[in-house]
Amino acid sequence: MMRGGDVLNVTALTKRYDAKTVVESVNFTLSKMRCTALLGPNGAGKTTTIQMLAGLLRPSSGQIRLLGDASDSDPRRSIGYLPQHPAFYAWMSGREYMIYAGRLCGLTRKAASGAAEELLARVGLADAARERIGGYSGGMKQRLGIAQALIHRPKLLILDEPMSALDPIGRREVMALLRDIKRETTVLYSTHVLHDAEALCDDILILRQGELVESGPLSEVRDRNRQPVIVVETENDEASRGWMERWLQGTKADVLNADRVERGMRLVVRDLEAAREALLLDIARAGVRITRLDIGQMSLEDIFMKAVAE
Amino acid sequence: MTVWWVLVRKEWRELLRSYKLLWVPAVFLLLGGSQPVAMYFMPEIIARSGGMPAGALIEIPTPQAFEVLAQTLQQFGLLGLLVLALAGMGAVSGERIAGTAIMTLVKPVSPTAYVTSKWAALLSLTSIAVAAGYGAALYYTSALFGSVSWKDALLALIIFMIWTCVLITMTLALSAFLGSGAAAAFVSLAAAVVVVLLTGAFPDELHWSPGALPGLASRVLAGEGWPAYGWAPLIAAISLLFVSLAAAVKFGRFT
Repeated sequence: MMRGGDVLNVTALTKRYDAKTVVESVNFTLSKMRCTALLGPNGAGKTTTIQMLAGLLRPSSGQIRLLGDASDSDPRRSIGYLPQHPAFYAWMSGREYMIYAGRLCGLTRKAASGAAEELLARVGLADAARERIGGYSGGMKQRLGIAQALIHRPKLLILDEPMSALDPIGRREVMALLRDIKRETTVLYSTHVLHDAEALCDDILILRQGELVESGPLSEVRDRNRQPVIVVETENDEASRGWMERWLQGTKADVLNADRVERGMRLVVRDLEAAREALLLDIARAGVRITRLDIGQMSLEDIFMKAVAE
Repeated sequence: MTVWWVLVRKEWRELLRSYKLLWVPAVFLLLGGSQPVAMYFMPEIIARSGGMPAGALIEIPTPQAFEVLAQTLQQFGLLGLLVLALAGMGAVSGERIAGTAIMTLVKPVSPTAYVTSKWAALLSLTSIAVAAGYGAALYYTSALFGSVSWKDALLALIIFMIWTCVLITMTLALSAFLGSGAAAAFVSLAAAVVVVLLTGAFPDELHWSPGALPGLASRVLAGEGWPAYGWAPLIAAISLLFVSLAAAVKFGRFT
């Protein structure tokens, strides 16, 4: 069901290629002014899902409904989309491309030109607006891609891996831009960079082999998966290694799960206070040479790894 | 309709900035201008090139003006078509590979508008190039060999242009189906050559073939007029053109 604050509603969305099901029965809703990250390992169906939402692929079954649209109207009018590898006509200038994109969306010449000027300034391309796109850097092209997706003031902005092909500087620019945009437009973007998702999004969707395995506001998902985690790293001496081995193998009462990580181990425990006390006492008694001790909650990466593990 | 015009204007600007609007007509101008001149000086060229025994008598009848124009059309039919196919071969496949097609088609643009805008731009390029080359040929022919009936010349031009438009439309359609532009250019050129050769080999069985059009153009130039059997190849050519275009819209791969 569509509610007042919803922008997009997806029901039982499925995409099959011959016998292979790439996206299976996915349901979710995007609410107004929320920024949602679509997460999943490579091949989980992120791009397929996004291309169906953008109207580039026809779903095998299921429904995609946009706010305030009759079911037969063109969804492309209310959606701005940036593909994973945006490509432009190298012979056009940034400004020419923006006007071209605006005119394709049905804007008048004057409206397209005004919107182009405003958006180019906003993404920091005002000075390069009259230069050929062929001479733009990767970060500039990505920013132009975001600007052209916004030219018709879409209700929903969809970005496919907007940051994965950028260097750290370009990534920072695009992050800042998205932080600015999400204040006035609903944003959905796919990524496999969990750190970026954590810093930017309100809601998350996690896909695994075409199925939605986790979804909701990031804070709620965190609460649902609230499990205390302790990471211990030690020096590489005999005694410390032996001590760690005992923790990894032994079934210490409060440890739910123990994994070896680089230079140490990672423990998921039932009761953080009890586990902390037991661990610190044990460290002091055994004289273990600790280099790092990290006691806290599950990060998005932990949640992701748990959700996509079979 | 507005969107269609925006697309067509973009295609024209691309033809201009990629210099296709310059070099394709330039090739036709060169072909059309050089053919009458070369034919005019042919006896002298042969005489001066040597290799003839002393005293050998060479009789080369001066060709008539319409024969010169017909020869020019033959040049257009081979080298000209090659240049056109090269100019049009990447129309869709190039944009598909670069990823610019998807950027356009994610806007509210129909595949019909996308393909037909490219088609319109290629047809205008073809018409301009063929008309320019033909104009040059006509000018030198009438200066060196005498005049040709302008009515016949115009009719022949129109017939020949329809044939080139069929070829460029096929190139466009093939570039929408095939992975690479080179394949599209090769297949459409090979198809054109095979059709013309087959039509020449079996003129009775294949009298309706679109490949008969270049021959009809020469016939018209010779002052024999438009024959009643000319309608079948004309209708076949125009049908082939629209079938190719519709197939490109319906079955083309754009992403």
